[in-house]
Amino acid sequence: MNESSAYQDLQPIHPEPASFWRRCVFSTDHKVIAKQFLWAGLLFLLFGGLLAMMIRWQWAYPGEKVPGMGAVLSRSGGVITPSAYNTIFTMHGLIMIFFAITPIMIGAFGNFCIPLMIGARDMAFPALNMISFWTFLVSQGLVIASFFVQLGSAAAGWTTYPPLSTQIGTPGTGQTLVVLAIFVTGVATIMGSINYVTTVIRLRAPGMTYMRMPATVWGLWLTAILNVLFVPVLGSAALLLLFDRAFGTQFFIAGAAAVKGGGDPLLFQHLFWIFGHPEVYILILPAWGIATDLLSFFARKPAYWFKGSVIAMTAVTILSAVVYGHHMFVTGMNPLLGQSFMLLTLIISVPAELLFLNWLHTLWKGSIRLTVPMLFALGMVFVFGLGGLTGLYLGTVSTDLYLHDTMFVVGHFHYTMAAASFLASFGALYFWFPKMFGRTMNEGLGKIHFWGSVVFITLVFGGQMLVGYAGQQRRLYDPYQYTFLAHLRPLNQWTSFFAFALGLSQLPFIYNFFQSVFAGAKAEQNPWQVGTLEWTLPSPPPHHNFDTIPTVLRGPHEYSNPEVKKALGRDWIGQTENLPTGATSGAVAGTGGE
Amino acid sequence: MSDVVPFRSPRARAHESTALVGMIIFVASWAMMFAALFFAYGMVRSRAAAWPPDLLRLPLGLPALNTAILAASSLALELGLRAVQGNRARVAGALRIGAAALLGAAFLALQTVVWLSVWAGGLRADSGPYASVFYGLTWVHAAQVAIGLVALAWIALRAARGTYSPARHLTVRLWTIYWHFVGVVWALMFVAVFLV
Repeated sequence: MNESSAYQDLQPIHPEPASFWRRCVFSTDHKVIAKQFLWAGLLFLLFGGLLAMMIRWQWAYPGEKVPGMGAVLSRSGGVITPSAYNTIFTMHGLIMIFFAITPIMIGAFGNFCIPLMIGARDMAFPALNMISFWTFLVSQGLVIASFFVQLGSAAAGWTTYPPLSTQIGTPGTGQTLVVLAIFVTGVATIMGSINYVTTVIRLRAPGMTYMRMPATVWGLWLTAILNVLFVPVLGSAALLLLFDRAFGTQFFIAGAAAVKGGGDPLLFQHLFWIFGHPEVYILILPAWGIATDLLSFFARKPAYWFKGSVIAMTAVTILSAVVYGHHMFVTGMNPLLGQSFMLLTLIISVPAELLFLNWLHTLWKGSIRLTVPMLFALGMVFVFGLGGLTGLYLGTVSTDLYLHDTMFVVGHFHYTMAAASFLASFGALYFWFPKMFGRTMNEGLGKIHFWGSVVFITLVFGGQMLVGYAGQQRRLYDPYQYTFLAHLRPLNQWTSFFAFALGLSQLPFIYNFFQSVFAGAKAEQNPWQVGTLEWTLPSPPPHHNFDTIPTVLRGPHEYSNPEVKKALGRDWIGQTENLPTGATSGAVAGTGGE
Repeated sequence: MSDVVPFRSPRARAHESTALVGMIIFVASWAMMFAALFFAYGMVRSRAAAWPPDLLRLPLGLPALNTAILAASSLALELGLRAVQGNRARVAGALRIGAAALLGAAFLALQTVVWLSVWAGGLRADSGPYASVFYGLTWVHAAQVAIGLVALAWIALRAARGTYSPARHLTVRLWTIYWHFVGVVWALMFVAVFLV
């Protein structure tokens, strides 16, 4: 206990600020900042989702009036023009990746879970954490502003490839503002990630060894490491593009546009994908971590070979840094280099497969409880399986030559980055909602939300893969003007109907979320009966989280242990709970967590 | 120099270690940004027909002098940090940190002269990839110097006011790391942009 009492003093308890502004707006409390990121992210998720609906409308009924969008598209009489279409699909991608998934997954759950799950009173640098959120908000403001300038927002695709993204390809302030927004959001991400990495290294409670950290924290931590190392690369790419756009430098301009000898548009692709490939793991690693935890929690079994899962996630993190070339197989890359990138890419499937098998083994013979978070975790495993397997075709040079830049690619990365990340985020939201808001969400509505989401998300992205395999390129304004694609119209229309159904399936969630935040039933302290540290606290936890910083005795996944059942009469034991020595069956009432 | 190790509470020491870990991670992150910029430089240069084009030469003397100035500034700051750690923050510490800030300002001033003379010599930002690399890289670096400069001036003032003591000088230590990093990046930039 001596070590623990010495430890208490290292993280002092700061009193909760009294003023409304310091408590709810300019707060340094990681739990408040998490909620701020959640609101900001959900708002942009809705925005990005509406843009997706417009893309799907265009692919079902090209050039026809979009119902209900007459006011927004007033200049074209309610029709999506080609230039508006470019903006819509560009901003759908950018908003979803940088301004919706990132803030929800990393901003909200990173902030909320890391200190609570490792037994810290706050982040290592609480002020930096606050600045990170407000910097992020500035970048969201820049995105919104870009829609109101002349020529509209960015239109060069989410990848922002030059020469399309230079002044020559996309003139106007909108594209510049969005590139600036990417830079600013990168700065915010780096600030947050420095915080996460340091917090995990320095502020773990006594006894919280790395192997006792919940998988969620592992996923978020590895993601933060990738963010720290690779977001700066995107930052420099954005900066050089800004220089090209604003000051006339020629890093990315070549050919006829570059009178005095040019730079190289491919340079941007290198920089973008050096960041961009780690980025896809940045968005999936927290999802893997969350799924690993949730599957164990609700199968009431220890996570199968947890150490192996951790090793696999770490291996993927390292490998993700050396595979970016598979995005550029068709750029005239040296075939030897292409082969090397292909080999490294395919090697990733080994640790990913290991992780997947561990999930299945965790479920095997478990006493599975199909709660809403569990359903979402299972859904994430399912869609990630589809997305991961189809990735093999794209990582292989010979098949990629055919599939590159088709809708197959779009379907693939939507299964992994969109479907898997969002299902895991929703699972996390349903799971931690009671702790975050102190209220309970409606299970029935949650299940409707789940089944709608998982069924239609599978159908939508499956439809995209099919049309891609049939040869439809991505980003076409009107695919059916090409005779060889005209027959794909019914398939595209069905995909669009599924997409609209997917959009409608989010309505129960929106209602459920608002209803529960403001009027949900009061949550218990530990409604899911799990043993990680955050559930030893009241819902919601106090400002400083832990009155006494706990001493951790065991890993996060102690379920259905017969010894525990004998001693405590329940199928789980908290990470800080001592198993009474020499206890006989039923003699000791459970104390921890109640 | 006093050999007495000042007493610092376990909390202060833990806080320092945490801040240093954060600083190392920050430097690693920023180093990746410059690594990406140098990668861009290498790629643009490997694609160029001639480097530098048209027998154009960037000035060497001033940048070399500037490299020395930034090195001197780093040294002054390091000595300032030692002075603060040796309980001589108010005079020696403040003067040395102030000198580091002044040398940093001199660096920026001379860098501006270099930019203006090169600009007047006909190499504009839009004069092609060679100019892009020269301006792009030096701009980003200068922005870092400017941030450091504000911080150094601020901590020099605070040192003069007696804010720092051997037991309490974490801010000085962190900015010293930052400033050394800025110096190292400049040394690489001097070799890559001006020398070779």
